[in-house]
Amino acid sequence: METSVLCRLNAAAEKYHDKIMFKDHENALTFGQFNELTKAIGTFLAGKTNAGDPVVVMSGRHIKTPACFLGAVRAGCFYAPMDGDMPVTRLNQIIGVIKAKIMVVDKAHLEIAQSLNYDGEIFVMEDILDTPVDEAVLAEREKTLVITSPLYVIFTSGSTGVPKGVITSHLSLMTYIDSVSKVLDINDADVMGNQSPLDYIAAVRDIYFPISKGASTYIIPKNEFAVPTALFETLNREKITALCWSVAGVTLPAKLGAFDVIKPEYLKKLCFSGSVMPCKYLKIWQENLPDVLYVNQYGPTEATASCTYYVVTDKVEDDTVLPIGKPYDNYKITILSEENEEVPYGEQGEICVSGPILALGYYGNAEYTEKSFLQNPLNPNYRELIYKTGDLGSWGEDGNLLFHGRKDRQIKHLGHRIELGEIEEAAHKVEGVKDCCSLYNKPKEHLYLFYTGDATSKDIVLYFRKNLPAFMVPRKLVNLDKLPTLPNGKIDMQTLKTYFK
Amino acid sequence: MMDELMEILEELRPDVDFASETALITDGILDSFDIVALVGELNDAFDIEIKPNNLVPDNFNSAKAMLALIEQLQDE
Repeated sequence: METSVLCRLNAAAEKYHDKIMFKDHENALTFGQFNELTKAIGTFLAGKTNAGDPVVVMSGRHIKTPACFLGAVRAGCFYAPMDGDMPVTRLNQIIGVIKAKIMVVDKAHLEIAQSLNYDGEIFVMEDILDTPVDEAVLAEREKTLVITSPLYVIFTSGSTGVPKGVITSHLSLMTYIDSVSKVLDINDADVMGNQSPLDYIAAVRDIYFPISKGASTYIIPKNEFAVPTALFETLNREKITALCWSVAGVTLPAKLGAFDVIKPEYLKKLCFSGSVMPCKYLKIWQENLPDVLYVNQYGPTEATASCTYYVVTDKVEDDTVLPIGKPYDNYKITILSEENEEVPYGEQGEICVSGPILALGYYGNAEYTEKSFLQNPLNPNYRELIYKTGDLGSWGEDGNLLFHGRKDRQIKHLGHRIELGEIEEAAHKVEGVKDCCSLYNKPKEHLYLFYTGDATSKDIVLYFRKNLPAFMVPRKLVNLDKLPTLPNGKIDMQTLKTYFK
Repeated sequence: MMDELMEILEELRPDVDFASETALITDGILDSFDIVALVGELNDAFDIEIKPNNLVPDNFNSAKAMLALIEQLQDE
């Protein structure tokens, strides 16, 4: 019986020992080599931690980063990945929430790590890779893991201005990976092309399909996404068969006309998620690659990456709206009304999820956890938690789930989840900003900040660039004498939306 | 024309010193989403059509290179 992802890693390392597991533009690791790295890192970390401790990993877009993640797991710990390109303020917030005693960084990120408000120990990954493996210690640490132990904590935008750390267990991750790989038919002949930052939830497929299914993953250099023909050349050179990308990543080459020059020749499966797919771009993919399996995915980090999927069988038109489809195996979807009752068929309500894929909560934040993970109001008889997604949905006539947007002010932009309130919190910290309101122009994919006060838009953007992730920085800043208000004094967002250019 | 280009670039990324940077793409200073936004703005402002083949680092690594690309496309 499986007790952790290590069971899968052990089996894969044996079965696929000499096969390439991870590759980037410079290096490659076989399953055997990867496994040995995790053991070296794990042995080292076991000497510095107690089983069950968090380990922060700040490492770049290369093949050794997943080895650090799994190395932490080998030590009986769980990992909290951080993107070193994020502003220092953000990194400090994450460190403040996770309070880890140990941080593992690659050499390239050492300087940043040392500049953080961090009083734990920092270890350079390159220095610990040669640690002699102690199998007895590793076996002991592996034994401490049960299937509900935390595997990782991944941070997402929080409306209060502090990011929330979503804790995922081994069980949840393996359940999701098995369900999604069944739909996509992922196997050991597949080569994944990784787009997502490795610290981000969308990367779990690229990391765990190799571990679970024997697939290989190629980590695509970030700047190739700015050069679409180079991106497609890479897909062909590496014979990439499957992509699990954000909608933003999928639309990019279509927007920039890459198909006019070159086509991905080996691609068989394309799964996209993160936001609503504008079908005029999917249409371009379908026209150029009609035999590819296209899958639309929906779901929040709190339910382990995704809840539902829809296999796109028909040719789409520009104005097609894709359903979000059916629940994956072991995902239960309920749609609840404001009164916590199940809504009648076809009516809108809040999408709620339950099953073994529910996160263990928000790290170090019991209050927020209790607010979001609740007893299923339809079940008075035994303990059954549900997660209220804040997304509105309804069941369509064909049994597919339809998505109708958000209940609150959370948006999806460039594949990332953003609380507009978090941008406003940041703007209020800029000198010369009085009132402000952040809104999203979805058709144009522009993030706006309307504000009053003497601050120049340059002042604000410079502050944002230092304090928020790049994807959260508004492209359009509009200085107004006064923000329009409703009779009750609240900001009139509908009127503000008419100011979109 | 350089002034107009600099104005567009300044508005796109006020945090970048476009007058001195010479590896905007190679060093990852401009990301893919900046490029999508920039291509749209340049096409509109200069009445050109930037093709996928033009989207190589050499054409976007500096403001000067972008200006050369714009001039070349306007001549076509």
